Amino acid sequence: MIRLLVAGHEAVADGSLGIEGCGGEGEICARRVDLAGASGYRAGTVSAPRSTPERVLAVIAERRLSLELGTLDICFLVALHVHGEAAGLTAFTEAQLEDVFAQASAVAQPEADQLRRRATHAIQRLRDQRMLARVDGQGVVRTGEFALSRLATGIVQFFLEEDVLTRETLGLLTHSLRIAITSVLEAARRAGDPAAWQDGVVGPLRVTITELVAGIERRQRGLDLQQEDFQAEIRRLLEADWFGAIDRCQDLLESTSATLRELNEVLLRDTSVLLGLLHDIEDLAIAAGEPDGETAAHRLMDQVDRIAAWGSARQRAWSEYFQYVHRYLRDVVRLDPTRALMQRLRDQLAGSGRRFALAYAGAPPIRLVRTVAAVPERPPVVRPRAPREREPEADAGQDPQAVLDSKVSRALGGGATALSVVTGEVTAELQGPERFVEAGRVAHTVARLARASSAIERPWVPVGDDLVIEDWSIRPGAVGAPVTAGAAGDPGSAGSAGSGGQAARRETGGGPGVDTAAGAGPARVAEPSGISGHPGNPDAPEAPPGGSR
Amino acid sequence: MTRPGYAQLQDVILDPDFPELDLALRRGRHIDRDDVAWYALLGDAQDHLEAFYRRYGCELVHKPDGYFYLLPTGDKLSRRQLAAGDMLVGQALALLYLQPSTVERAGRNTQEELIAQLAAVMGSDALIRAFNPKRRRYDERVAQKTVRSRVGEAVRRLAGLGFVELLDGEQLRLRPALMRFAEPVRGLSEPAEALAQLVARGEIALAEEAGTGPGANDATAEGDAEQGPHDEGEGEGDDGDLDDEHDRDDGDSP
Repeated sequence: MIRLLVAGHEAVADGSLGIEGCGGEGEICARRVDLAGASGYRAGTVSAPRSTPERVLAVIAERRLSLELGTLDICFLVALHVHGEAAGLTAFTEAQLEDVFAQASAVAQPEADQLRRRATHAIQRLRDQRMLARVDGQGVVRTGEFALSRLATGIVQFFLEEDVLTRETLGLLTHSLRIAITSVLEAARRAGDPAAWQDGVVGPLRVTITELVAGIERRQRGLDLQQEDFQAEIRRLLEADWFGAIDRCQDLLESTSATLRELNEVLLRDTSVLLGLLHDIEDLAIAAGEPDGETAAHRLMDQVDRIAAWGSARQRAWSEYFQYVHRYLRDVVRLDPTRALMQRLRDQLAGSGRRFALAYAGAPPIRLVRTVAAVPERPPVVRPRAPREREPEADAGQDPQAVLDSKVSRALGGGATALSVVTGEVTAELQGPERFVEAGRVAHTVARLARASSAIERPWVPVGDDLVIEDWSIRPGAVGAPVTAGAAGDPGSAGSAGSGGQAARRETGGGPGVDTAAGAGPARVAEPSGISGHPGNPDAPEAPPGGSR
Repeated sequence: MTRPGYAQLQDVILDPDFPELDLALRRGRHIDRDDVAWYALLGDAQDHLEAFYRRYGCELVHKPDGYFYLLPTGDKLSRRQLAAGDMLVGQALALLYLQPSTVERAGRNTQEELIAQLAAVMGSDALIRAFNPKRRRYDERVAQKTVRSRVGEAVRRLAGLGFVELLDGEQLRLRPALMRFAEPVRGLSEPAEALAQLVARGEIALAEEAGTGPGANDATAEGDAEQGPHDEGEGEGDDGDLDDEHDRDDGDSP
């Protein structure tokens, strides 16, 4: 019994397993057959032509297509085929079908009764699976005539006729192929328009030549099956007649080897010629801008390549098998003609006799001594014992004002009599912006540490290259006195506010007043801290005390 | 038997294939025709190499079945013996090698067929006992699993020695060196006599010398007693001990 796919109420249509070429490009499509009551089938494509096997398989699985044939059904089909060929029948009447079924049943199920009833069921099974097709078209008017479908014919031929590649069939096929491709090449050279390409080149390449190539491939598969049969036959011969089978085995090996060798020679010789012709057709198609012709030629070249590769692969595989069997025949069969070794070995394995162990060389791998590299010793990983966070410590640090006081005192002690002199000494090491800021602090400190006096109009005195200040005069030895304002009495009432009422300006580019702090003039002396800021320098923490420009 | 290219031993040693071949032989590898280059080198330089290895206390053996191997006869090179389990598997493989059904498949067999062969010849109980030698009681399912596992390990070890070739999946390809397992029963003489001759030549060691049980394993006779590639120490947990299994597997065992 053969069972193909799954059971269901749908049967496959013409063609093997319902898959066949649909269209020139070789698209695969699946057909479905709906059971429409007892009247017959409506066949139609499942869907549009498909290009991928996955989609076709999905459709088949979805439709649950099936084929189920028992031995009796196959015998019935084969009997119909043989009977039709012998009698020259293209169709069978119902009576003829029943007669043929009786013959098949007599062989397959000789003891079965109710022949007519079983014949009716068998015919219906084959009709359901589209093995038998009614061909008279008379419906209920009279009894019908039936013919084997293409599917049934294919199945019968598979069992009856095994196309096997031989040197003769291969030579004939390749010769026919060569003639056909040559004529297509001529047509391609003559073709001047797309219609001529289609009729003379693409069509023959897709149908005639493809069929010939498929014929070779089919016979290759037949030969593969035959080789498998040979291998099984060799086993059967050895099992049946151990030593006596040697000659027969060698004959089988030799004949198959010779066949494969010849086939390979033919393939090697002819495939190169065929490929050359197809290559010319492909070139012409490319030159003529005919993609269909190019595709068809290219596909055929692939098929021919595959045929050649098959020949090489089979010969190589058979060669290995040939050597293996020959070694077996020589080393095992000839040396043990009574087949006693196998039995003794079986007994040994079963435990008779003393147990033993094979000895073998077991040298350890060679030890390659490597150069010693000093490994740096890393300190062991330990938990830190000391606390990670340290307690804050008191740090007296250095009071910047005290430093400034000492510098100013040192300058005053050195005999300085003017603010500009003290400022020059104290700020000599500072750069521009710091010096400008420090000048104010110096004035403030001088006012605190010495008695200074100034006229109402204080003179602007340069201190270095980049600073100009309103100058005061300082009386030596007088410390802590407020600044006085000359004729206006004692300006110290205002200057004692802390900054000394002094003004300074930073000279940039030499122009007076370009970078001068605001608040110049006597009125500013009284409010020194309010003069802070510098329009061009927002970072200045404080402006020079006193008037500045 | 020495081709012109190997006029001297130096020529053999300078052959690019020699270092690998030498290491393989020293590790117990059996070389047959399927090792095309090595086999050709051994065949062409057989005279030189026989003398060469004799100096190491070894014999380069060439069997008519078509394979070479190195057999230590002195104490310069380590000598080892197959474990009892490996011997069982090797003999079953040799039996398969002789069967016509193997010829049909050009020497290809599966591990399942190997275990079936062992069970058919030895009997299932004896097979389980052979691979679980120290168990008084065992869980059948676990013991069978142990057998399959131990057979698989043995096959891998034998493949390393050139007795079989591991193919894709469970497939094995049997090699001519398997005929070594049939040596004691191959000749016309009685097996006991053949065994004595093989022992005298140092080809085999009897069970008392080799240890008992499949787990006894591969004793290093002399030389560098390095741990072999196949330790089958007993009581390692996966060996079908019913008591152990009950400890580990609650309710799963029948």
